Amino acid sequence: VEQAPVVDPEVRAHIYNLVSAIGGAGDDGSYELGDDALLCLKDLKKWLSIFENKLNRRDVARCMAEANLVKGDLLEILAKYSERVMVDKLKHKIALACLELLVPLTWPVEIDPMEATANHHRHIPFIQVAQTGYKRAILQFDRAKILQTAVRVALPSMAETRKERTPRDEGIIRIVLYFIRNIAMLSQSRVLPTDFDEAEVSRSATIDAFHDQDIFQVLLTVASSIGDEFVSQDVVVLEILYHILKGVDAEKLFMEEKKLANTNTEELKSLIQKEKAMLAGYARHAPTRHNRFGTMIWIKRDDEKVSTVSGQDVLGKAQKSMQKMDKTKKWNKPRHGSRRKDDEASRDLFDLPVPLSPSARKYLKAFVEEFLDSSFNPLFVHLRKAIEREHERVESRHSRQYFYLVAWFLRAECARRRQIKEKAAKKDAGTINAEDESFGLVAGVLNQETFILLNRFMQRSQDDKIWQDLNAGMKCFTQILLTVQEMSEAAMEEDQEIAENIQNRIFYEESTHDRIIHILRSYKDQGLGYLDACTELSHVFLRMLERYSKQNVDLQIRSRRRARKKQKVTEAPGQNDEGNTSEAEDVVEAHRTTTERKFDFARFSAKFMTQSCVNTFVTFTRFYNDLNADQLKRAHRFFYRVAFKMRLGIILCRVDILQLFNKMIKGPEGLDPDMPAFKEWEEFVRHFFRMALKKIQERPELVVEMLFSKINATMYYLEHGYDREVPTRA
Amino acid sequence: ARGTNLGIDEEIKIAKKRQPIAKLDEARLLSAAGIPKLRRISKERLKFKGKGHEFSDIVRLLNMYQLWLDDLYPRAKFADGLAIIEKLGHSKRIQMMRREWIEEGKPKATADIDQDP
Repeated sequence: VEQAPVVDPEVRAHIYNLVSAIGGAGDDGSYELGDDALLCLKDLKKWLSIFENKLNRRDVARCMAEANLVKGDLLEILAKYSERVMVDKLKHKIALACLELLVPLTWPVEIDPMEATANHHRHIPFIQVAQTGYKRAILQFDRAKILQTAVRVALPSMAETRKERTPRDEGIIRIVLYFIRNIAMLSQSRVLPTDFDEAEVSRSATIDAFHDQDIFQVLLTVASSIGDEFVSQDVVVLEILYHILKGVDAEKLFMEEKKLANTNTEELKSLIQKEKAMLAGYARHAPTRHNRFGTMIWIKRDDEKVSTVSGQDVLGKAQKSMQKMDKTKKWNKPRHGSRRKDDEASRDLFDLPVPLSPSARKYLKAFVEEFLDSSFNPLFVHLRKAIEREHERVESRHSRQYFYLVAWFLRAECARRRQIKEKAAKKDAGTINAEDESFGLVAGVLNQETFILLNRFMQRSQDDKIWQDLNAGMKCFTQILLTVQEMSEAAMEEDQEIAENIQNRIFYEESTHDRIIHILRSYKDQGLGYLDACTELSHVFLRMLERYSKQNVDLQIRSRRRARKKQKVTEAPGQNDEGNTSEAEDVVEAHRTTTERKFDFARFSAKFMTQSCVNTFVTFTRFYNDLNADQLKRAHRFFYRVAFKMRLGIILCRVDILQLFNKMIKGPEGLDPDMPAFKEWEEFVRHFFRMALKKIQERPELVVEMLFSKINATMYYLEHGYDREVPTRA
Repeated sequence: ARGTNLGIDEEIKIAKKRQPIAKLDEARLLSAAGIPKLRRISKERLKFKGKGHEFSDIVRLLNMYQLWLDDLYPRAKFADGLAIIEKLGHSKRIQMMRREWIEEGKPKATADIDQDP
């Protein structure tokens, strides 16, 4: 049986015809254009758009990839015209036609599970591989700067003032910016193989090329005059920034070369150390004789029963044999939470760390600094307004990218300030310039409008269960808190005042408090990145609120729910009783006194100490071998607060939690004893175990309760040994 | 032909029923080998060494749970079994039982009324 051809042969014939008619190697070996090259290019564009849009098929894109259109023709033409594209009208036209083909060809494609046809499934993987090939060809093209040529095509249009630009000019600018976006966005697929080195299309390679071809300058130009000369380009710039910066560690970017090298060495050292510890851990339990030595032991159990375990590694080690007994069981509890797998591909991957080469790091750092100095405020204020107004050019992914980038740049700015401070301290030349330039550079996102938008965004993504959005929102909020914290410690009085004001506002709203608690409480299967974000947010928020409420003993908060309830209560008797004149005043008065009430930190933090919050942190801690020092510290502080500050250790008295703690400290596969966090964890676990043992001895009922999450009715008794005194009426 | 056949010649198909898989459920948890046994053995067997031996004491405790669970439901690994039981603990019936067990352990309510210092 003959298989149907993958692509309709007629379509293929047409495309091949057109592609070969564009041009080819001329007499002197350089590229020569065919007579009707421009018409051919336009025809190809028509083919592409009709197939892609009208018929919803991907055959043509595939044919073009197979015909080597991009590398063989389009890039050759652009390279040939690179120099004269701005002065020669015809050349400009042809170059533009090339770009009009390149943009749809490099447009990142995904298989959309809702709309994919068999045709998509057949072609898209092939096209994805071809696209990384395009990116490589564009970045590595040796005879001309392709990206720069593209920008040149748009330069005349960009030079026009906004009022004098024609729709065609706007269109050209858009095409070029999207071309840059596509190049920034394309990346090596994680499942499909390519026949070249991944490094050639990596982030570092992209950044190098952007620097080399002055693309960063273009971005700065557009971004700094946004709202002025450029308006609708804001979201494209946002996307480009996002795809360049996602996953890059902002802190590391601003580390000094030496320190970074040190940190990297430290990291390597600690990794080697970790590996050593791991291997030593295995070696300790490895068999000392060959694998057919055939030892078998009995474990005596009660009621005259025995269990058998084979293997010499368990000899003389009671604990080891218990583990082996458990490990050799074959049945696994079916997991129902594994439905996450398919959106793994579509998620935005900002939780995936991206390594940079030294040169890329240098260029990117220079760009980020310039960006902060010149463009951050204008671009981000402008974007905020566009998002607020739900402008039609703003798509749902843009809010997420916006908040992710706000967090990213705030972090970068803080890191930069720290670096400058360190430098100044080293030289101890009394003049610190950095202190003069206050936090004004990022003030555009530290205002009430942004907070309102962020609050709304977090609430909505939480309600709609769009976890990746919520993740970005949480990162942003955490970073705002940290920035404000740093601001309040800044030298300038003005900064301190502003910081105070912002904190006042953030901590004044009870709805914010409730939201953070709710997020932490309702974690379920959203993945480690999300888990990291929500535990960090809770940690930072709690710590800062604690400090703040200590400094401001008379902190008031606004609580919406209570207000309404109280209002009703006060209204009801008011109508029966007296004249209406004072009634209105009464209501206002009552409203004022009841909507604002004194904030009680102890009561607030107690809300974090519930079983579900503990569960979230336990889930987080289960990843202990993948967590860094900061994250381990975060978990440690939380548990410490639960067990000793709040005296609610009873929540932690559950067998699986005990087992986790025991495994972390005593292994196997526990924390590395040489790492700095180990000491405090060991200390904590020992303390906690002692407490738990004492409790069990005092109240033997606990042996059963240890199996379960505690219920409210009995928790108080288990903790204290007597029931809460409830005022009873006789 | 149909009238004469009476269905005698047809083979009778016996669909073998699969052995039902034993489940770790409320009934099993509340049976004699379940929590009642746990309560008994914890009283009989748990002896702690006390201060300075926190870890070994906890290990002893964990081992007791593991062996108990292995007897109760050999199929599941320790962690899986714990997860199943924890989930069962959310049911009404088990919660009632849990409350009862705690009540049993409480000192009699009348006895300690006037013992406040």
